Amino acid sequence: MGRYVIRRLGQMVVVLFGATVILFCCLFVLPGDPVGSLGGDKARDPAVVEALRERYGLNDPLPVQYGNFVKNLAQGDLGEDYTQRRPVTEVLAPKLTNTAELALAAIVLDILIGLLAGLIAALFRYSFWDVLITLLTTMAVGFPSFVIGMVLQKVFVVQFKWFPLISDGTMNSLILPAFTLAILDAALVARLMRGTMLEVLRADYVKTAVAKGLPRRTVLVKHVMRNSIIPVVTYLGISFGSLLGGALITEAIFNWDGIGLALVQAVQQQNNPIIIGVVSFGVAVFVLLNLLVDLLYAVLDPRIRLA
Amino acid sequence: MRGATSAKWVVGAVIVAMAATACSSNDAGSKDSAKGGTFRLGITEPTAIDPYNSQESEGALVTHNLFTGLYSATVDGKLKPELAESVQTSDDGKTWTFKIKQGTKFSNGEAVDAESFVRGWTRVVAKDSASDVAYPFAGINGYKELNGGNATTFAGVTAPDASTLKVELSEADFEFDKKTVHQAFSPVPKVAGAASNKAYNDAPIGNGPFKMEGSWQHNKSITLVRNDDYGLEKAKLAKVEISILNSANGSTLEYQGFQSGQFDWARMPTPQQPVAKAKYSPMKKWIEADTSGVNYLVAFNQTAPLNNPDARKAISYAIDREAIAKGVFQGMQKPATSVLPPSFADTYQDGVCSSCVKQDKEKAKQYAEKGGLKPGTVLDFGYNTGAGHEEWVQAVAQQLKDVLGLDVKLNGKPFKEALAQQQDKATGGIWRSAWGADYPTPDNFLYPLLDSGSINEDPATGKAAGDNRGRYNNPKFDELITKARGTKDPAARAAVYKEAEKLAVDEEQGLIPLWKRTQFRLAATDKFNNIQLDFFEDPNLAEISAK
Amino acid sequence: MTELTKSTSVAGDATAPAQAANAEAEPAVARVTQWGEIRHRFLANKLAVVGLGLVLLLFLTAAFAPLIAPQDPLAQDLNNTLQEPGNGHLLGTDALGRDQFSRIIYGTRIAVEIGLASIFLACLIGIVIGALAGYFGRATDSVLMRIADVFFAFPLLIGAIVIIIAMGRGVMPVIISLAVFSWPTVSRLLRSSILSVREADYVLAARALGADTRRIILRHIIPNSIAAVMAYAAFSVGGAIVAEASLSFLGVGVSPEVPEWGNMLAAAKDFMGVKDFLWTYPSIAIVLTVLGFVFVGDGLRDALDPKLR
Repeated sequence: MGRYVIRRLGQMVVVLFGATVILFCCLFVLPGDPVGSLGGDKARDPAVVEALRERYGLNDPLPVQYGNFVKNLAQGDLGEDYTQRRPVTEVLAPKLTNTAELALAAIVLDILIGLLAGLIAALFRYSFWDVLITLLTTMAVGFPSFVIGMVLQKVFVVQFKWFPLISDGTMNSLILPAFTLAILDAALVARLMRGTMLEVLRADYVKTAVAKGLPRRTVLVKHVMRNSIIPVVTYLGISFGSLLGGALITEAIFNWDGIGLALVQAVQQQNNPIIIGVVSFGVAVFVLLNLLVDLLYAVLDPRIRLA
Repeated sequence: MRGATSAKWVVGAVIVAMAATACSSNDAGSKDSAKGGTFRLGITEPTAIDPYNSQESEGALVTHNLFTGLYSATVDGKLKPELAESVQTSDDGKTWTFKIKQGTKFSNGEAVDAESFVRGWTRVVAKDSASDVAYPFAGINGYKELNGGNATTFAGVTAPDASTLKVELSEADFEFDKKTVHQAFSPVPKVAGAASNKAYNDAPIGNGPFKMEGSWQHNKSITLVRNDDYGLEKAKLAKVEISILNSANGSTLEYQGFQSGQFDWARMPTPQQPVAKAKYSPMKKWIEADTSGVNYLVAFNQTAPLNNPDARKAISYAIDREAIAKGVFQGMQKPATSVLPPSFADTYQDGVCSSCVKQDKEKAKQYAEKGGLKPGTVLDFGYNTGAGHEEWVQAVAQQLKDVLGLDVKLNGKPFKEALAQQQDKATGGIWRSAWGADYPTPDNFLYPLLDSGSINEDPATGKAAGDNRGRYNNPKFDELITKARGTKDPAARAAVYKEAEKLAVDEEQGLIPLWKRTQFRLAATDKFNNIQLDFFEDPNLAEISAK
Repeated sequence: MTELTKSTSVAGDATAPAQAANAEAEPAVARVTQWGEIRHRFLANKLAVVGLGLVLLLFLTAAFAPLIAPQDPLAQDLNNTLQEPGNGHLLGTDALGRDQFSRIIYGTRIAVEIGLASIFLACLIGIVIGALAGYFGRATDSVLMRIADVFFAFPLLIGAIVIIIAMGRGVMPVIISLAVFSWPTVSRLLRSSILSVREADYVLAARALGADTRRIILRHIIPNSIAAVMAYAAFSVGGAIVAEASLSFLGVGVSPEVPEWGNMLAAAKDFMGVKDFLWTYPSIAIVLTVLGFVFVGDGLRDALDPKLR
């Protein structure tokens, strides 16, 4: 197990290296000078541009810049953002908290809605509820998050005025964005849950357990649930990527001051340190989550041995 | 499932905590109203509030209320003396001597004297500051040395005694005093230190009508409270609560906040303006002003196909500004017929750009023929994306296609890429742009946009680093600008500027004006008296009082 | 295992007609029956049929857009901007007075183009790399799969934005950026199914008969693994269309002048509560399109492998 973890961590480093190299190459082929102007129409004084290029090492060859980036990263330093000249970590930290809050709320909703719906559909297969849930979950997959977000906003914010348009720090302002972000994954979790549960329910060990005369409840909780939840866990781990992608849209629609919105704005402003910060973070968390999922696998299913 | 429950709990706790802070700030607001009231508004995150790098309207709002300089400007560009008690200008227009009002203090008790101005100005221009707002100082002796890192003092700015500030310019400029309304010309106390002083950057100590309460909470808020020791006429408001909103949708948030009573001042998104006007104008909560700016098209004067005045006039005549203003902007923008804005009453010439007054298809075609702009000619039309220009540029492109038969190639690029393309020597065609005045002088339009000194071509790359990216270059125009700067009599000076504008904009169409800069705000006039839009497009916080 | 072998020959059909002459191929009769069986299962699935209908409708609209659209989608009319639906404009006009119905009709072209092209490209890269990794194993597998990991580690939208930063906005950059971050899923699918069939009897038999590696990959392994890829592809076209519209919605997709659904929504966003018809109709177009592909993908997967249902 220990060796496995070490090997996986090694692979993780390789992946992170590759990802940041791709990122650097994409960002620095651009014709615009990242410190050539601020957002406005006025050009910066050439002397200022030069001073900033020096300060941020933009005159160095790309490999040197990359080397500096890695060196600083190792010390937890992501550099200074080009607009306000504040440390990127300081700029992104509060935004990260906001995105984490949103993502956490969405995952909670995913699990609650997804598992429950999947469970009901599987246990009462072909019933009215199963058909309804299957239909709804299939439909949900077809609704892009910006459509869901705009519809929710129109109905509940503009029409009924139940929720504020401006995030005012209350539960109210979290509900709509979290729901928007959660719907797709909740539907997929429900479908997955239904599928695996149906398979598990047919499995011999479950039949045996039932035949043994164990109470239905015990069989469900101890055997069926436990074994059905494995793919769901995997899925949630992998879905983090789509969650982060979805956060881009959700944050843009609901003006949620998170890293997704920061990324979209940084792209418009060519604020490279912010772009690098957000994307590397996204990639790192995703890779780490995958590792955790694999480890969790082993805990949930003793048959899986990691080597 | 346990994990899920506790996760939910954490989210809940965060929310409760946030709600609690929201409540407490509201309580504070109502308590303060007894002593003058709290004015609340939303802005987007400024680049800086420290005068060394405070630049856009949002930064200006905060810096101008934290600091008081020599003069301030009214919305129509008139100078109002603040700390300048008197001023003397030498006959050659190169030496300016300001008498500084004595007895005023920074909010830390330090006296504001001539030396604090020297300190503040030097701090902006110093090389290490890499300030974006050093350029207004460029006419002062010693600017190059200080900005280039070859000097640590500003040779042209001296304080012979505590009440005298002497400024020596390298060229005559009889309007130098007007430049000092820019917040970069603020005095700073000794504690300011270098520009890299992070503590001061986020909580500047100034000499203005307001002072900071705590530090700048990035992306959250900035709170100003009245400076009761202010040396000039004290503010009436007790407190100003500035919420910092997402720039992605700032105006929507401001508008919603105003509607729900959270803000006393707001912008609104363009599509919502007609509805907002209909609703708030009868309630006298609607503020509308043509401010000191212009929206225009850069025309690349040195590169085909617009390398002659006739071709440029053809473009200008072919655009139906009225129709776009009415159809696309729903009547909320007004066609511009000059570069200098109507807010500069002394130099405003309505209709000076004769090709701008009305679309004239026949004239457009005639000029196109004279200027070699044949149907089918490729015309590059660049604009920066993500700033709300996507729609109207298409309308302009369509008109150019319809009237002149040009093959218009729209080219949308993010800001910095857009800038790089405009600076490039090979770029031809037109590019959308806008200009807002930094200080209330006609020179601040005509020199940067049209003088050959503002092309600032890099000899190595051919890049135009200045703001005259259309590379309009006419020695006669340059002479007029120099002449105007050296003309002491204001009326005679205005006449020269008018002549210069007519030459560059009407006769030679160096650039193509499109729309005036018109600003709209909502203001809670039911709760406050005397709310106005100032020269920097901000509310005049120091003069507002609660009802 | 039987199911897998069956679905195999389906794909085998598609690869080369010459295969019919091949002694190893199953008799034509059997194949027809299997096709029939799959078609039967697919058509018995009501949602799948609805989906197929929607997809066909989309293709036909895209193909005959100039005939269906009542007006030029680019024709502006500044005297009639922001008209409510009706009055000669079925779905109203936008801020430049362009006919919204015509723009939505032409929007199908971009959706189809980007959806199909990006997934086709992703499958192409994915199949080649997955096949090589799965068949050769060892070092080749390790290297290729690490490369796949690198691209897989980018969340799709975020990765796509990074590529578009470098390439600029436009149809081609969008297609490439979506493909570049979608292929790892395909290659993983293919690789794992190759691993499971590599030791299958018929492959061992072919090898024993002296078939060379290339032949084994092309004739046996890929056809046998392609079923999973096909179901994924059908499903993913819908996803690619959503991603493409999302990019435009965020202002980094195809050029703003192009009549495209995400662009229409981006322009309509600020009219929320004032001119809601500007965003509702493009939204409906996107939802119907995506649902079409999702239903077909689901139906295809169930038909190819009924066990999963």
